[in-house]
Amino acid sequence: MSPEAIGGLMLVALIATIFVGFPIAFTLIFLGLGFGYWGFGDTVFHLLLFQTFATMKEQTLAQVPLFVFMGLLLERAGLMERLFLVTQKMLGGLNGSLYLSCMFVATLFGAASGIVGASVTLLGIMAAKGMDKSKYDVQMSAGIITAGGTLGILIPPSVMLVVMGPVMGIPVTDLYAGALIPGVMLAAIYATYALVRCYLNPSLGPALRKFERMESMGALFVEFVKGMVPITVLLLSSLGAIFAGVATPTEGAALGALGSLLLTVVYRKITGPLLYNSVMKTLEVSCMILFLVVASNFFGGVFSRLGTPDVISQALLGLELNRYVILIIIMAAIFLLAWPLEWVPIVLIFVPIVLPMVKQLGFDITWFAILIAVNLQTAWLSPPVALSAYFLKGVAPQWPLSDIYKGMMQFMVLQIIGLALVIIFPQIVLWLPGVLYTR
Amino acid sequence: MRTNSGALVRAIRGIDTVSDWSGRIAAWLVIPLVFVMSWEILVRKVHQPTYWAFDLSYMLFGALFMLGTAYTLYRGSHIRTDFLYQTWPVKVQASVDAFCYLFFFFPGMVIFLWLAQDYALVSWQRQELSMQSSWMPPIYPLKAVIPVSIALLLLQGVAEFMKCIYAFRHGEWLTKQRSIEEVLADEMPLEDPGAPANGQAR
Repeated sequence: MSPEAIGGLMLVALIATIFVGFPIAFTLIFLGLGFGYWGFGDTVFHLLLFQTFATMKEQTLAQVPLFVFMGLLLERAGLMERLFLVTQKMLGGLNGSLYLSCMFVATLFGAASGIVGASVTLLGIMAAKGMDKSKYDVQMSAGIITAGGTLGILIPPSVMLVVMGPVMGIPVTDLYAGALIPGVMLAAIYATYALVRCYLNPSLGPALRKFERMESMGALFVEFVKGMVPITVLLLSSLGAIFAGVATPTEGAALGALGSLLLTVVYRKITGPLLYNSVMKTLEVSCMILFLVVASNFFGGVFSRLGTPDVISQALLGLELNRYVILIIIMAAIFLLAWPLEWVPIVLIFVPIVLPMVKQLGFDITWFAILIAVNLQTAWLSPPVALSAYFLKGVAPQWPLSDIYKGMMQFMVLQIIGLALVIIFPQIVLWLPGVLYTR
Repeated sequence: MRTNSGALVRAIRGIDTVSDWSGRIAAWLVIPLVFVMSWEILVRKVHQPTYWAFDLSYMLFGALFMLGTAYTLYRGSHIRTDFLYQTWPVKVQASVDAFCYLFFFFPGMVIFLWLAQDYALVSWQRQELSMQSSWMPPIYPLKAVIPVSIALLLLQGVAEFMKCIYAFRHGEWLTKQRSIEEVLADEMPLEDPGAPANGQAR
């Protein structure tokens, strides 16, 4: 049997076993070893160790534990909730103000979790109760929480982009710069939609009652300075150092982590248990992502050595379709894969398979990466298969699933509009990296 | 069905404790990672770059996530596609998991361990140095992290396999909180042959 055919079999075996529910990393290592040995013998053993050690030495990936640690510290110390409360009080007089503060916090804190499940859960815990209390519309609330939670995955600092960089062979800084404008654009589209709906129909998000708002402007200002300014400054300076080229992305992440440690001290929230819980959770989230990176790098190495990706891409290219048709086929496949899977296996296993083809078609890789990110986010918002609905249901059990679905559907439509904009106007992605880093 | 899972649960708890502690130790590596890298930026701004920060940062990072894999398995956090799995009865889940541990996990990880210890041993004997920077620190301790991590992971895999046996026998998963005493107390009524095997209340 030809190596390419062995690779094809390996892919079929992977798809079959991935749905059995066994941890993917272990399956990948086993399949890689088995099919690799069959295809090219002993070399596969060296490949396993080489890929493992290369991942351990990949300093860019150290951003994963650092950003997760930063986010966890801020969240566990109650600083994220405080931010939520401050924005809520400031905007209290406005119809739908909670939607706005929810979007704001989601945009700032995406890095707190790194994976969709955690991000939506976190936002749900924080926002759902307040929205219920203020008699907000359930569908709209569910929509904005799931949309915000999934958007956080895309907006820098984003763990997903950190992992994507080495996979695509482009600097993480380019991806950060590329994701910034589409991310902010999507957040603005969501917020505008929610506010316009509330303006037309105030019962969707009634303004807070007088006694729930802050009494005096002075007290409000103090609360604003104490609750919001330090965190915003921290996040912006960490990202700013990266964008300005003062620090590498990993150093920027370390600065962010150090800053949040200092903030917890300044706010007198630092305790032994808080620190212990944060480092333990950081370890757990980092390992779950990074051990899969090791396994996927190995699997991908075996797969490309067998030569199967070339065969697949030649076959698709041989059809001589319009390159945008092929792009849409790829995007549709990613969309479907994102229903059952987290972004980690998709980015690590599927993307390397199609990457050579995309390069050959002459698409810009940074643009392609952001397109994938936005596409993944759309998939996470598509009921009834997307998991976000169930994550939210888990923390807001009082909301009927049918309402959560209907809410997500509205934002999925907005998301498709955003996706179309990114495809039609690549400049939305490419303008900022171009200005910052090249020529 | 009569069950006597006391020894099984004791063994599971023993291994769980080892993994738990490996995690507790590895997790703290994130703190020096933060300080080493922050120090580097500070010193570079006011003086000149350190010669050691780069090497130290990837060493801390590499050791952090590799040593934490056993703990992550113990916590049940390795990414799995469980939208089908969730809907199955416990005994089916346990059988499928047990099958996967026997035929995927153990063969793969035993080979990995055997390769990794050889890899680390060769490096250790040669007292290999890192070629990433002018500092050239010893690299063999970091290479030794691989076999240690995989050995811990393999050990936790044994515990997970035993948890499958427990779940298959009892019709429910062993919860993290239940102590050996509780499990033993639960088993007392099972000495009565008429008692249902899976009728235990939590």
